[in-house]
Amino acid sequence: MTSLPSSSEVEQAASVSSRDGRRRSHPLLRYIGIRFGISILLLWGVTVVTFVLANLVPANPAAAALGDKAASDPKIVAAFNAQHGFDKPVVVQYFIYLGNLLHGDLGNSTQTHNPVSQDLAVAFPATIELALFAIIFSIIIGIGLGMLAALRHNRLSDQIIRVFSLIGISIPTFWLAVAFFFVFFYLLGWAPGTGRLSPADTPPPHVTGMYTVDALLAGQWATFGDALSHLVLPGAVLTLFTVGLLVRFTRSGVLDVLSQDYVKAARAKGLPARTVVFRYILRGSLLPILTIVGLAFGSLLSGTVLTEQVFNWGGIGQYAYKAATTLDLPAIMGVGLIVGVVYIGINFAIDVIYGFIDPRVRVQ
Amino acid sequence: MIRSHRRLAAAIVIGASVAVVLAGCSGGGGSSSSSGKTLVVDNSFDLKTSDPARAFELTGSIVDKALYETVLTFKGSDVTKPVPGIMSYSESSDDKTLTLTMDGKHYFSNGDPVTVDDVVFSLKRVQAIAGNPSFLLDGVTVTKKDDKTVVLTTTTANPALPFILPNPSLGIVDSKVLKKHGGTDTKSDSAESYLNKTSAGSGPYMLKSYSVTTKVVFEPNPHYAGTKPAYSNVVLENVAGPTQKINVQAGASQVALDLNATQVQGLDSAKTNLIKGTSPYVMYLWFNQDSTIGAGVTNNQDFITAVRKSIDYSKILGLSGSGSTQPGGLVPSQFKGAIKPDSTAEFDLAAAKAALAKSGYNGQTVTFSYPNDITVDGLQFETLAQALQSQWAAAGITVKLAPGPIATVLDSFRAGNLQSGIMYWGPDYPDASDYLVFSPGQSIGLRAAWKDGADATVTDAANAAGSASSDDRVQAFATWQKAMNASGPFVPLVQPGQYVVTATSITSVPLNPVWTVDLASIK
Repeated sequence: MTSLPSSSEVEQAASVSSRDGRRRSHPLLRYIGIRFGISILLLWGVTVVTFVLANLVPANPAAAALGDKAASDPKIVAAFNAQHGFDKPVVVQYFIYLGNLLHGDLGNSTQTHNPVSQDLAVAFPATIELALFAIIFSIIIGIGLGMLAALRHNRLSDQIIRVFSLIGISIPTFWLAVAFFFVFFYLLGWAPGTGRLSPADTPPPHVTGMYTVDALLAGQWATFGDALSHLVLPGAVLTLFTVGLLVRFTRSGVLDVLSQDYVKAARAKGLPARTVVFRYILRGSLLPILTIVGLAFGSLLSGTVLTEQVFNWGGIGQYAYKAATTLDLPAIMGVGLIVGVVYIGINFAIDVIYGFIDPRVRVQ
Repeated sequence: MIRSHRRLAAAIVIGASVAVVLAGCSGGGGSSSSSGKTLVVDNSFDLKTSDPARAFELTGSIVDKALYETVLTFKGSDVTKPVPGIMSYSESSDDKTLTLTMDGKHYFSNGDPVTVDDVVFSLKRVQAIAGNPSFLLDGVTVTKKDDKTVVLTTTTANPALPFILPNPSLGIVDSKVLKKHGGTDTKSDSAESYLNKTSAGSGPYMLKSYSVTTKVVFEPNPHYAGTKPAYSNVVLENVAGPTQKINVQAGASQVALDLNATQVQGLDSAKTNLIKGTSPYVMYLWFNQDSTIGAGVTNNQDFITAVRKSIDYSKILGLSGSGSTQPGGLVPSQFKGAIKPDSTAEFDLAAAKAALAKSGYNGQTVTFSYPNDITVDGLQFETLAQALQSQWAAAGITVKLAPGPIATVLDSFRAGNLQSGIMYWGPDYPDASDYLVFSPGQSIGLRAAWKDGADATVTDAANAAGSASSDDRVQAFATWQKAMNASGPFVPLVQPGQYVVTATSITSVPLNPVWTVDLASIK
């Protein structure tokens, strides 16, 4: 017979342990501190990897950025290389990059001619807005359907949900994006076209960079509606995929927990079904679900390149696509870094949440 | 408590729904007739900047043409004759001095008059920045003569200069405004970020908002001296080709600039009009003349003759879409100095096999490089490369295809390291002299390792064309191109078809090979 130890038992054990020998910090704080230290090391690793990979590409950034005539003029090529620091040895470039990075300077994009940090500050909120929209609906629908499927294991509703989940995972998002756009925009006229706002509409005053939030803050209801309606199609495309993923993991996690003795005991005690489902089953299966939610959110935040490209979203994905196809090294490294930060940040947050949810984690 | 949460959630859902409905009712984008004020133009962006002295991309030219006037310009689609813009011009008989004189009154969007000082500052700024377009004024000295006159002088004859000056990269900026925001006519200029937020030109439009990745929005310049544009709000938005097709048919945009031959098939003719043309881009083949890289094959003139004769040009045109054409030489068919295809570029398999036998070719594999991540007016290099491989195989030539990203292929090509391949050339300005760089020892010639002195006949013809006076230029460039075809390592292959699709509400879209489309002239 296995059961989760109670929180108080674990806390007491940890507390006794900490009083032994030298004085030690609270286990949760120590746990967070270790995770934070690892995250910083990982971040430094990300800078090395993105820099090395970007410089391994066998092509010349000046050749990619300059026109034919300009690239034939040594004076112009020299000016370009000096402007972007490409005239220095690679190792020196890395340390300059690292030094600038500590001051928040990611260099200038060879394509947009803007500071990369400025470009990212514009693109990232657009992606955050889309990712939040998709992940909120994904969590509600995905976990709900996953639990329903598990609780009605092998019944018709389970089979239907499993097929739905399989479809969500199997259909390529770029195809789905084009198909949704064609059907719901062109054929049915239910959804607006590409972009974050209608062409004639102007963005609300900048506060967060997320148009729905900024429009609400400015009290611009029509703009809020326009921004929200533009979120629906790309958001639905991303939601469908993420829901498919979450349904499978939730179903499998809940099925595992359902057979646990403490769930059987709760039911035997005659607890209401809602209490058993939410306090015992859902909590017990939350760790793997949380992991997949984190990874899915990371994936959405790090740029859904093809969806953003189809819907001309102007987020990180579209920026990354342009940077990669034009060999814009500073932008590539900037995107690599922000993707690294996103994943490390989310993993750190999940690790911390693990510590809160499951006391065994922080004690270990 | 639970009930109040439910009420709150219901209120949020209803509020959001009402907002979405309101947004839908407001019409959003794309609604337009000439009186409806808003024009939406879809373009696949290659935009980097709107600063004319730094921009040299197709989208940048569309943007800067709308924002800035140039000293000279072209009327509509006719690029054979420069006409006055801000200034009129006269050329000295030796083509070394171009005198520009202010032509009427022109005003910047803040109401300041355009002066000779602004012209001198703008042109010198292009030279000083050493950016992409600065080569346009290479070797040109810009001097203010008086308050109405500017003189451009060159040490060698430059009859192409009047054809260069209409380029939107040479747009005239308000020097007083720019100097307040970091603008100088030295290399320390830092006005780009300002110009990407606020335009400082005298063109028909001003910048309303600007994003390199999503859209550029224009509003009318109230002080514009020319004819008032038909649309008071213009949105140039970044949209991929397939989406452009859907947008223009759905009425969300009025002009789609980047549809290819396949995409224009099946358009709803009740909702759209199709304008067909020929691209000014020339796709050409090249064969390395270095004996080490060419390995006695691509640097053999008989082999190149075999290559030319074994291409079925009619099939290549079939692949390149309606409106495509076979250029006779490297100069595009629309420009003065273009020639018709001659006997060197006729499909003749027997002649190809004879030339191949004469070359001593014994089945060596030739590596053929091309970019696989870009298209020219929607035409894929891959399509052409595979067709050529099959046609050459019929003549007995073995070719190994070597696709790669444009950044890597272009880098190796520029370094002269590749054996053969297909590449393209777009006009920097609509004059045949832009193509002399293909001559021996010149920048493009050297990419095929065609060094100075390698072909005296071609070099002499190029020199003669470069210095020919106005009346003799057409003949001189024809002679040069024929010499190139007879003994050069370049094979002009095709100018793809070019298509613009418009909503039926649009009655006029003047296209131009220099700036693609003049937004202010769309009606």
